Amino acid sequence: MLLRMFFTFLKIGAFTIGGAYAMIPLIKREVCEKHAWITEEEFMDGLAAAQSCPGPIAVNISIYTGYHVRGKAGMAAAVLGTILPSTVSIIIIAMLFREYADQAIVRRAFTALNPAVVALIAVPLIQMAKKSGLSLRNAWFPLAIALAVGLLNISPVYLILLTIAYAVHEARK
Amino acid sequence: MMYLQMLFTFFKIGLFSFGGGYAILAMIQQEVVINNPWLTEAEFMQVVAISQMTPGPIAINAATFIGYQKAGIFGSLLCTFGVILPSLIIMMIITISYLKLRKLGWFIQIFKRLRLLSVGLIGAALIMIMGNAVKDLYSVGIFLACFLLTWRFKLNPFTMLIAAAIFGMIFGTI
Repeated sequence: MLLRMFFTFLKIGAFTIGGAYAMIPLIKREVCEKHAWITEEEFMDGLAAAQSCPGPIAVNISIYTGYHVRGKAGMAAAVLGTILPSTVSIIIIAMLFREYADQAIVRRAFTALNPAVVALIAVPLIQMAKKSGLSLRNAWFPLAIALAVGLLNISPVYLILLTIAYAVHEARK
Repeated sequence: MMYLQMLFTFFKIGLFSFGGGYAILAMIQQEVVINNPWLTEAEFMQVVAISQMTPGPIAINAATFIGYQKAGIFGSLLCTFGVILPSLIIMMIITISYLKLRKLGWFIQIFKRLRLLSVGLIGAALIMIMGNAVKDLYSVGIFLACFLLTWRFKLNPFTMLIAAAIFGMIFGTI
């Protein structure tokens, strides 16, 4: 049971390339339908928590499912499964990178990879902006955040805490 | 001392990483490039590129990579543990207490506000790396091509980055 949980989340972790949002249907299929570890209702509660609590969504949902089904041992198995593929592959790449980072061919590859990465961040910015209910009236807020953090180097920590405080205040009115 | 500093820094990054992958980049860059001299801006770009080509969340990939560069395998495990520790604590509490967050009014309001904040944070990441990466005709061209390919033609990020790497190997000048 624990092993099965470990391998299921190993599979989920191994296929989460470039963002968890695409993986949510896969996670749901694995934990609700294939293994029936939690009901769909429980999954939706867990997903809401996983998306709104700090930390990577895939990790959060594995903690939720693992703990729900088998307590701390289940949680450990699920989390290890989720992070093992990325940890192992990154350690191997970091090892290789130390050897080859200064090679001309690697440096040439990065002349194109760097602008490609900028594009990779610009695309989700547009997608997120659409999904977040951005309008002319509230556009000043993300704009101010972007300038404060990006240009003035103000830590997002303060801005996040302020936003949470404001939202709680708003909800209590 | 450095170990503690690394653990604490990645704990902080994990604790304040809302809104998924890209929103956390600005904070990681502030912490590991500006506040701590762990990576140069160019190395940070490399970490982001590598994170996108390997499985797993960006926050974890960055933690593992930076940890390894600074203190080997032990460092990578330490930073990875640090970045997921807040998730472990918070999600465990929610699971044990059967908290149904999606039915709590104040929580929904926080989530709604944070989503808009995330948009701003991704914008910040863009501002922070833009100047360093897109600076001449060659890089502007690549940026525009990659942007259109992923946005309009839904090319997946992995394929796009591999294509960019090959293009750079052939046409790039250093």
